[in-house]
Amino acid sequence: MITLKHVSKSFASRLLFRDVTASFASGAVHLILGRNGSGKSTLLRLIGGLSRVTSGSIVFAREDARIGYLGHATFLYPNLTAYENLAFWQKAYGQSAQEQAILKMLAHVGLTPFAHSRVGVFSRGMAQRLSLARVLLLRPDIYLLDEPETGLDKTSRVLLQDEILKARADNACILWVSHLAEGQSLADSICTVQKKTLVCRQAQPQVQIETGGRTKDAQKGDEQC
Amino acid sequence: MLKLALALARKDLSLALRGAGLVQSILLGLLLVFMFSLSQKTGSLASGQMAAAIFWLSSLFCQTLVFNMLFAFEETQGARTCLLLSPAPVTDIFLGKALAGFVLIFLAQILFFPAIIVFLGQTVSQSWPMGLLMLFLADTGLACLGALLGALSQGQTARESLLSLLVFPLLAPLLLAAISVFAAVFGEQAGEDPTSWIGFSAAFDAIFLAIALMLFRFVYTGED
Amino acid sequence: MSLKQILPALLALAGGLLLAAGWWLIFMYAPTEAIMGAIQKIFYIHLPLSWWALFSFFLVFLCSVAYLVRPGEHLDRIARSCAEIGVLLTTLTLVTGMLWGRKAWGVWWTWDPRLTTALIMWFIYTAYLLLGGLNLSEQRRRMVRAVVGIVAFADVPLVFLSARLWRSIHPAVFANESGGLEPEMKLVALFSVLAMGFFWLGLVLVRCQQLKSQDRIEDLLSTEQNREEQTEQL
Repeated sequence: MITLKHVSKSFASRLLFRDVTASFASGAVHLILGRNGSGKSTLLRLIGGLSRVTSGSIVFAREDARIGYLGHATFLYPNLTAYENLAFWQKAYGQSAQEQAILKMLAHVGLTPFAHSRVGVFSRGMAQRLSLARVLLLRPDIYLLDEPETGLDKTSRVLLQDEILKARADNACILWVSHLAEGQSLADSICTVQKKTLVCRQAQPQVQIETGGRTKDAQKGDEQC
Repeated sequence: MLKLALALARKDLSLALRGAGLVQSILLGLLLVFMFSLSQKTGSLASGQMAAAIFWLSSLFCQTLVFNMLFAFEETQGARTCLLLSPAPVTDIFLGKALAGFVLIFLAQILFFPAIIVFLGQTVSQSWPMGLLMLFLADTGLACLGALLGALSQGQTARESLLSLLVFPLLAPLLLAAISVFAAVFGEQAGEDPTSWIGFSAAFDAIFLAIALMLFRFVYTGED
Repeated sequence: MSLKQILPALLALAGGLLLAAGWWLIFMYAPTEAIMGAIQKIFYIHLPLSWWALFSFFLVFLCSVAYLVRPGEHLDRIARSCAEIGVLLTTLTLVTGMLWGRKAWGVWWTWDPRLTTALIMWFIYTAYLLLGGLNLSEQRRRMVRAVVGIVAFADVPLVFLSARLWRSIHPAVFANESGGLEPEMKLVALFSVLAMGFFWLGLVLVRCQQLKSQDRIEDLLSTEQNREEQTEQL
């Protein structure tokens, strides 16, 4: 659960958010919409603590919540291999490197043949999939997804949606900036950035019933990990 | 605890040794040594103090390049964002960068030292253990300030010159210490007891380590 | 016009008059030094310059610490003005110092701890001023400046200490300049410091106000741009 209390943010004299108050529940997908330049990405960065609020506060229900961030940049090192990248991020986030988990995750996103190739030679889609693998491997409590579907093909998008649903079932809090129509059907709440504030409404996730079984499978899958 | 620092240092070292980055800074240092050897008249030897000064100037240039490289790693694909999101404290990033920088500078110096001996015709005197201690202290200082101020270049390209403008004068006291102790290592008769320089360097390191640990989180942020 | 607006001008004026009075004292009241003669008079300019330069840098340090504790634009502006004035005064200190050295010691430059410290300080704070040219967001630039402001001042005593240690390796040929001062000399020196202080404060305040106006103009310009952008979007 994340709560924004009277959050304002301005860059120099440019006001981006004025007095935003909102809360994002855990175990739910929050879709964030808005025009280009309206500050969607900034909102995610504020929540991640990457950018400081000008006034107001952002409170987490858990102090030690792990945050996974998927953005426009891939956050990968081009001169390391796919495997080395994942191993580094695992250690950097305070987990011990687990070879099996990494290889399994690489297989999951379909990068097994490229596990030991330099990331620099990857296509945009492959890099994005590896980036997704990085986030999933860290098993975050909060997902900040900034248009994660960019550059992904159809199969990978389905994979991404599956993972989002799995994470929801794991009681994670998912903030998802997306243009996708599919996004609307998954979301528990839809927030729109307009007029320097955030307007949220409840939504009926249409895939709820359909994913019921899938979610259970997902949990089983997690236990195997 | 310190897991991020160690992981980061190891990753940076493997990246630095893989690319051309370290080779570039080593070559620059060696080139400096060679160029200075031109300033000698035929048949005459460079004084110990001059050799020491050249050794530390090379190290200094190497330090600037190394830290620019280390912080550039985090910028190419925006990895800084994810480092900062790690649950580990930001000072871990500082420690990781400083550690990696220390090792890289040291590696470069292993090559500079014989180059100085060969090109500038130096001999190593009995006070080499003192020199080794000084090397450790001076490299710590170089790494400390390098890791703190190298972070200034975040989100910047081609700001090496500004970094060196800041770092060189700030490091001047430490360099004076290092040069005078190394002059003694190269057999120059030292008027001053080198131990006072060692003490001074230790104090310098302690002060700047403390300052860097306090201030790094202000310099290294998610904002561009 | 409010007092706040004319205060810098008043201070500068007072400083100017006092400095002029100081000149009179320097040449008419203070006794001429027996060995060095008239050249010793440069000391009465040199000393206040260096003291206020150092004080400027100390203020940069204080404002930087305060900024990190509680960010505020005005703190950054004060720090920036002080650094600018400090660099200016240090430059003049160096020039007067060199003139003195040429006459008193026969060389323009020597490895004197005070000279060295002043020169290195000059390098550091000139680099500090260059930070303004970094292509960063305003907020981050202020933060970076504050950090460098602290690091720079922490370095000053270390530079002095090391320069003194260094010199003891080289034989100290030159006697210490501020040996025995006549009471009249002390009085004139103090008066000069005070006069320079007024002038210094006036300069700093003027510069602060200029920077404030500059920030405000840039603010207005960018607000105007924002408004245009938004009307375009609508």
